[in-house]
Amino acid sequence: MTSTVDRGGTSLGGKYLTFFLAGEEYGVEILRVQEIISMMPITRVPRTPPYIRGVINLRGKVIPIMDLREKFGMPAAAEPEQVMIVVQVAGVQIGVVADKVSEVASIAAEDIDPTPDFGAGFRTEFLLGLGKSNGRLRLLLDIERVLSTDDVSVLSAMPALGQSA
Amino acid sequence: MIPAELNDAAFIVVQLEPTELDDIKALRDTLRHFAVFDESASSQVRAHAQQAATSLSLILLGGACDATELLAQASSAIDAAISTADAAQRHEPRLSASDLHAIVHNTVAAVALSDAMAPTVAVPTLVPTVVSLPAVPVPPMSVPPVSVQPPAASDGGVIPADADLSLLSDFIAESRESTTGAEAALLELEVNPDDIEAINTVFRAFHTVKGTAAFMGLDRLAEFAHHAESLLSRVRDRAVPYTQAVADLSLRSNDVLREFLDGIETSVQSRETIALPGEYAALMFDLLNVDAVLAGVTMERVKVVAPERSAAVAVRGGAKTDADLSVRVRTDRLDRLIDMVGELVIAQSMIAADPAVINSGQHDLVKKVSHAGKIMRELQELSMSMRMVPLKSTFQKLTRLVRDVALKAGKVVELITDGDETELDRNMVDAIADPLVHMVRNAVDHGVESPEDRERAGKPRAGRVTLAAFQQGGSVIVELRDDGRGLNRDRILAKAIEKGLVSPNQSLTDSEINALIFAPGFSTAETVTDISGRGVGMDVVRRNIESIRGRIDIQSVLGQGTTFQIRLPLTLAVTDGMLVRVGDERYIVPLTSISLSFRPEPAMLSTIPPHGEVVMLRGEVLPVVRLHQVFGIRGAVRTPSDAILMIVGEREHRVALLVDQLLGQQQVVAKTLGEGVGDIPGISGGAILSDGRVGLIIDVARMTSIARTADARPRGLNAA
Repeated sequence: MTSTVDRGGTSLGGKYLTFFLAGEEYGVEILRVQEIISMMPITRVPRTPPYIRGVINLRGKVIPIMDLREKFGMPAAAEPEQVMIVVQVAGVQIGVVADKVSEVASIAAEDIDPTPDFGAGFRTEFLLGLGKSNGRLRLLLDIERVLSTDDVSVLSAMPALGQSA
Repeated sequence: MIPAELNDAAFIVVQLEPTELDDIKALRDTLRHFAVFDESASSQVRAHAQQAATSLSLILLGGACDATELLAQASSAIDAAISTADAAQRHEPRLSASDLHAIVHNTVAAVALSDAMAPTVAVPTLVPTVVSLPAVPVPPMSVPPVSVQPPAASDGGVIPADADLSLLSDFIAESRESTTGAEAALLELEVNPDDIEAINTVFRAFHTVKGTAAFMGLDRLAEFAHHAESLLSRVRDRAVPYTQAVADLSLRSNDVLREFLDGIETSVQSRETIALPGEYAALMFDLLNVDAVLAGVTMERVKVVAPERSAAVAVRGGAKTDADLSVRVRTDRLDRLIDMVGELVIAQSMIAADPAVINSGQHDLVKKVSHAGKIMRELQELSMSMRMVPLKSTFQKLTRLVRDVALKAGKVVELITDGDETELDRNMVDAIADPLVHMVRNAVDHGVESPEDRERAGKPRAGRVTLAAFQQGGSVIVELRDDGRGLNRDRILAKAIEKGLVSPNQSLTDSEINALIFAPGFSTAETVTDISGRGVGMDVVRRNIESIRGRIDIQSVLGQGTTFQIRLPLTLAVTDGMLVRVGDERYIVPLTSISLSFRPEPAMLSTIPPHGEVVMLRGEVLPVVRLHQVFGIRGAVRTPSDAILMIVGEREHRVALLVDQLLGQQQVVAKTLGEGVGDIPGISGGAILSDGRVGLIIDVARMTSIARTADARPRGLNAA
């Protein structure tokens, strides 16, 4: 295994917006980030998977908000999150909630390790790799994958249409 | 002076061998160029040159024709061009021997010539002397012995490599406008064939397209426009009357021009050769043999009648001014602007409602804030109105359709349009275009009887179809009326029973029977023509109209006609909604779908095992849908008699929605929830509420189907 990780021939090194979620520090490519907004009331949308928190009004545009804790199967937050990071992937805007934003970090390609294989039952497909800088470990998110993959186990657990009545 | 090109051409052509394809091609191009672009030569000279070019094209294509014969034809056409130019030069309306030669052979065109010409034409051999024929128009495009075939290439050429793309897209946009103007003028001519101004408009449109196309290096388009223009110029010069056949050719030419433009646009993107419009070859053939076509076709069938009160000329002038004073804006930008203005209004109302402002005791501040609010509301109204477009162009297309369908179906139809200045939301205009096409087709094909049947029924031979639009309260009504045979309710009922849509012993009111034609797969047409009656029809019409929150109603009297009334909201962007609360969530129910809201008495409610719940209202039994259950809302009122029931939906799809509280009416701007969420059953979208939060809009139609899937509706009680 080589020491650097790349995706489709492009180096993973570059700038990442890092944020905290459940005590861990995550990173998302800065070019995907459209803006960071502070928490605001979210309108719950019925009949959506639990990782869709709901929708907000972003200056006149309705955009969905995703809960990464739900998506990754982590327990609910003890205290309310502070921020929402609005990312744009393939023309679709979506917000993800985070406990708090950390910094914009430059992470060199050689400081990024491939995600180790933890075996079955541990979801690592949402990660690009592990970034090491300033002695800290950051989980670099493959945000495109996070947003586009339907969590199958969660979906099938949803009550089927109409059975709730 | 005889154009140098012609002299050269005459010199070259006699030396050409049928095998020297490169030289033939060069000569062809020279001639074609001359024919299309040399404004100094008369149209007759250019027509001869074009004919020569066409003959040469046929050699190049290597068709069945004898190349030597074609060369000879080209040669005589060039001679004809030269003598015509020569004659024009001397201001003597004479025919040269070669001209006569062409005419003598021109048996097809002879039919079209005036009677005065006929004796001369009948002379089978060359007349040795120069005959002076001052009163007789020279056929400008004399037809050669074999009818002229258009160049049979399968593509429209390529966009020149050095073309300026932005110029090209301007050209396409401008030319489209020209063709739209031309179509309007052509339809105007249907009413008033002597309107020389309208002829000029069409002529100018074709001429402009031709000129610019030539400049852009789009030779095929230029050539085609040239032929279309030539016909019009003859009408303008009163060489031929404006008959139905000319109208047909011109309208078809206009269509082909449009398709050509589409093809060019596609080609700009794909960088491939320009696709030739499907009708191109046939129409080119007709245009090249125009005299035969004009002679052979004498039909006067459709008459389009303009509304009496609108002065046609004034309307046309107005339309032109509109185009001159308008700016094209991309719709997504416009929508964004409307969104932002909506936001601004909300932001402003939040400031106005802020306790810091209200309780500030600063009278001036409060006044300023409310003044700003007034301006913003005006701004909002203005921005909303920017999406509104008149129905004019939609009606215009239908005018054309009536004309074509009537011709095809052998009907005589008068179309009366009224109120085409009525404005509707752009999206809505798009959404009703297809349903209207379908309905108009039906009206002409099935509604209006054949002239013979009409006479037997004591009606005028010409059927009358009226298309009207007007505003009524907060709605726009589009009405399609015909004075045809009307709906045959016995037949509809029989058909519905046969198709199992109703049971034989059901008794239905007239309007219920009328409504059956909207049932899926229902078609009463006895003969399925290629115009209408394929069985997919009125159900799609109704669905399309309902999808934009419209409604369609029918009134019909057997033997006297049918009226369809489409009722549409003024704009799609703004929905009148009822804000309701369920638990601590708020939802918006479109006001148009609510028929009644009330607090039920316990006695009105019954439970039908295993889990059906119904409410009895004025003898009607309706299923109850608990919104908190369907949407999984916590903390909602569970006892219906402590909550509110709203009767929503249409006719047999009505249900009673259980909500906690009505919060009041509100105008909202409907938005999608974004692709990240996808389609949610029961929710049609979201809207920003006055406090800046998002409220979800309930999709009533889907809600009723949810209710049924959920088996909330007890079986056997549907039509109690």
